[in-house]
Amino acid sequence: MIYLDAAATSLQKPVSVLRAVNECMRSCASPGRGDYPAARRAGQVLYECRQEAADLFGANAPEQVIFTVSATHGLNIAIRSYVRPGSRVVISGYEHNAVTRTLESIPGVNVVSVSGKAFDTEGDRCAFEQAFKTVPDVVICCHVSNVFGYILPVKEVADLCRERSVPLIVDASQSAGILPVSLQELGASCIAMPGHKGLLGPQGTGLLIVREGERLMPVLTGGTGSESRLQTMPDFLPDRLEAGTHPVAAIGGLSVGIRAVKSMGRERILSHERRLIQQLERALKGFEMVEVLGPEREEDRIGVLSFRVKGQDCEEIAGMLAEKGFALRAGLHCAPLAHRTAGTLETGTIRVSLSPYNTEAELAAFVRTLGKILQK
Amino acid sequence: MLYYLIVCRSLTFAQRTAAVLGRAGIPAAIRRTPAAIAERGCSYSVKLSQKNLSKALVILRKVELTPRQIYITEADGSYREVSL
Repeated sequence: MIYLDAAATSLQKPVSVLRAVNECMRSCASPGRGDYPAARRAGQVLYECRQEAADLFGANAPEQVIFTVSATHGLNIAIRSYVRPGSRVVISGYEHNAVTRTLESIPGVNVVSVSGKAFDTEGDRCAFEQAFKTVPDVVICCHVSNVFGYILPVKEVADLCRERSVPLIVDASQSAGILPVSLQELGASCIAMPGHKGLLGPQGTGLLIVREGERLMPVLTGGTGSESRLQTMPDFLPDRLEAGTHPVAAIGGLSVGIRAVKSMGRERILSHERRLIQQLERALKGFEMVEVLGPEREEDRIGVLSFRVKGQDCEEIAGMLAEKGFALRAGLHCAPLAHRTAGTLETGTIRVSLSPYNTEAELAAFVRTLGKILQK
Repeated sequence: MLYYLIVCRSLTFAQRTAAVLGRAGIPAAIRRTPAAIAERGCSYSVKLSQKNLSKALVILRKVELTPRQIYITEADGSYREVSL
């Protein structure tokens, strides 16, 4: 199998991640509850991961790193903390259902989705500026579109929010581990991300990086191993947002995944994926029937590309590619808003998304196979 | 042996406190807070030898990790809160 679905999850993990998970499974008990060696080891695993993440994502202290089970979980915590019935919420035109469905579930929210021309950074920046003529209560912006790999002007959006003291929630699902993401530099209220994509950790892990002083509301309540006499959740992080036993083995794997990203070098990963995706784009544009969707400029994209084939069903093409051993995803990618913005809501697209482990030879094989399918 | 306990509100704070002190060359061990002094229920404390307390407090204040409560052990094994 040639795996081209890293935007969903990075299937190939460093061997060190697998080893760490195994080791934690065998040696770690429940963290933050007991005072025996296996419990202490578990606590240490969590702390090391918080430190690694705080360092990579510009948080001042490890308690600003909250463990979640996914980016969706982190986004739910953030959105349900800041958005109230009647709130005016400005979002980008590329948000995932993790954002839009969560907003929809809060009654009476006025959601303003903003976008310029599709994949136009300057247009998007202007659209956000326009939306700020009435100051929003909350802004939510994904860093990178999960469908098109398009990098949104999140820095400029963060500047707007900071100038007007508007809470900003950033969805870094596709950028964490690939692009620079810094809580300090953005000044965002919080940044949500999965642990199992660009950070190369196991599924069931996610991080919510929270600015100092933010008071977020837990979506889960229960035991934290702290202030147990009280029947309310602790008012301090990370305990306030981390009820129940942590998935220590998965977090141990995530910690090593983050270290692997640091050691490979985020810039090297980005430049490798960009080089491959540019080659793929050029090759796909050679097929008359194929329409490649996404930003024109290389610097506006990471290693994710969407395309569709004129007159063909995207799911059927992806199905035929799967039969030939290529793993990639078609359809709406849980982001109908992004497809509406790009004009692909009715057809969906086929998405190729890369990891550091993909090679030129794999993509060449993909192009050859697609070519054969299109000839039929 | 008599020692001090810096009571921390969570394991993470205890870990951070111990890490900061460790980097400054002050041995600091994390342990569960004895039930007798855990007013709000479970928590973790950082155990320090008597001779290191004042140096530790200076270091912790510098990194804005001011302890909430500090206890000293008494000869009979009980704990007495130390006013900061």
